[in-house]
Amino acid sequence: MATPRARTVRRGLTYAALSVAGMAACIPFVWMVFSSFMTRGETLRRVFLPADLQWSNYSSAWSEEDFGLYFENSLIIAGLTVAGTLLFSLTAAYPLARMRFLGRETLFVLILATLMVPETVTMVPNFLTVSWLHRVMPVAWINNWPALTIPFMTNAFSIFLLRQFMRGIPNELWDSARIDGAGHVRFLFQIVLPLCRAPLMTVGMFTFIGSWNALGWPLLVTNTPAWRPIAVGLQKFVTEAGPEVHLQMAGAMIATVPVLALYGLVQKEFTEGISMSGMKG
Amino acid sequence: MDVRRTDGVIAWALMAPALVVLGVFGIFPIFYAFFVSLHRWRIKKADFLGFNHYLRALGNPYDLLGLLIGLGLVWIGTRWFSRRSRLRIASGSVVFLGGAWLALHCLLAMADGGDGRLFNAFKVTLFYSLGTIPLEVVGSLLLATLLFKIATARSFFRVLFFLPYITPMIATAVVFRTIFSPNPSSLANRFWALVGSEPQRWLYDSRSIVALALQGIGVDAYPDWVNTLFPSLSLVCVLLYNIWVYIGYDTVILLAGLSAIPRHYFEAAAIDGANTWQSFRHVTLPLISPTLFFISLVAVIGTFKAFNHIYILRTAGAQDTVDVVSILIFDQIYQFHNAGYASALALILFVTILVLTVLQNRLLGRRVFYGD
Repeated sequence: MATPRARTVRRGLTYAALSVAGMAACIPFVWMVFSSFMTRGETLRRVFLPADLQWSNYSSAWSEEDFGLYFENSLIIAGLTVAGTLLFSLTAAYPLARMRFLGRETLFVLILATLMVPETVTMVPNFLTVSWLHRVMPVAWINNWPALTIPFMTNAFSIFLLRQFMRGIPNELWDSARIDGAGHVRFLFQIVLPLCRAPLMTVGMFTFIGSWNALGWPLLVTNTPAWRPIAVGLQKFVTEAGPEVHLQMAGAMIATVPVLALYGLVQKEFTEGISMSGMKG
Repeated sequence: MDVRRTDGVIAWALMAPALVVLGVFGIFPIFYAFFVSLHRWRIKKADFLGFNHYLRALGNPYDLLGLLIGLGLVWIGTRWFSRRSRLRIASGSVVFLGGAWLALHCLLAMADGGDGRLFNAFKVTLFYSLGTIPLEVVGSLLLATLLFKIATARSFFRVLFFLPYITPMIATAVVFRTIFSPNPSSLANRFWALVGSEPQRWLYDSRSIVALALQGIGVDAYPDWVNTLFPSLSLVCVLLYNIWVYIGYDTVILLAGLSAIPRHYFEAAAIDGANTWQSFRHVTLPLISPTLFFISLVAVIGTFKAFNHIYILRTAGAQDTVDVVSILIFDQIYQFHNAGYASALALILFVTILVLTVLQNRLLGRRVFYGD
């Protein structure tokens, strides 16, 4: 058995190692925050802290090349995608978890198989499909919200996560709901939905991040700024603009804030939810 | 029976919206992509080309056949190999080595006759997975075990490690682009100056790290393969970024796996006199293996899907040394408007992912301990 002293030393080393890793995780953020408040001159000299906080960097970044518009676009796109994904994945997961019908297992495997299809495979055909829908539908798809949201309004991972959770809901609840005369649909929306708080928040958070990060597809289906998301704005910002590190960092900060704010709201449930995703069920 | 039938109708009705989205935008495109890949297809469908796009990408089909036979021999060799008899050791090794030689030979011939950019992209993707996955898995296992040991500030550290994963990659990739810029005031160069070295070009450098090390010690005449067989400095920067993003995610998942191990297993090991390493090796590791398998599976598929952050981190100076397959395909679509060829490349990538997933399942899946 280790002596108390050896145990203290060991504990100290554990905390030291974790702190080093924690710092490595943080340094890029510190760099981003500090640089975003610097003047252009300060980013070129080897200073670490800005002398004065240059709040004007944020307004400059915001007005640079429709960045503000892109930001609003991204909020709307992500909001619609999350709403659609939550609803459609919930209704798809319920029968897969709790109802009996022919072909259920095959269907579930087929849904999971879509996880392996890389986006690059679906990109060209989906572009052709969306162009066709653009021509035949009453609503425009290209350069408009449908092309950016509807194809992403559910995904295998969300359905999988919700199904795993719903399988764990005790059968007694269903039995008593049925005695009270409720059918599957009422049971789903009145009993199961409130219970699925944590997995729904996880799915919502993942979908929000995925939509916020999307870059390739939006480049394909938008050729005017009207519906371009913030990812495209940032990408153009860093590849086309000069070495304006302070403005780029302010732009990156603007792109970060909504996601971190959302994470702050759902932090507890999200950690629970992704921990569950690693478990075999 | 009647109840059952209406149940079926309700089930399909509930699933309908999701199935339409997944069917139209997730499954149908695989077949449509195959159709597109058989045609010359710029903006619109043109001539039927048959398998010409595949030939252009992969080169001589006989070389492909040779590659498959070689891999088959490797597999037979490993199955036949057995320590119990000398004959099987010898013959198994011969079949294995012969198969490996044939596969390598044909692969090089394919790279020669096919699309060099595709094989370069596969090479980059291979560097990418070898450079990230082992480090991520080992690093996160270490961090998770350390986190598991401490009582105070556990959730603080967990949130801290998780930040890089949760922050939008488009934003953090932009940050890393400035950190690893060739500017002398960039963070990487300032750190490099602390160590006492010259500023580097980081994300803008297409030379391999080995070539740079050789130049650092004054060897300027090195053969070409020094640059082709090792990852470039710019790719190493991308790898660092990838590790920085995913290690926290893996740690959180592993921590959950560790927390799920019943405490009495550790107590029993301690009573039997196991030290820290032994209890890690014989209790923790087998019980955590399904979770390890899960994160490595996710990491492998993720490597092949990686796109957004590489698209932001790539520079003209890096040339094609950071272009993984998905970047190559996107360029074919977006820059060259070559939808037909892009679809052929994408399907080749898809088949590769399928094969690798099956292989990983068979090779690693067997070693996973799911308990009783």
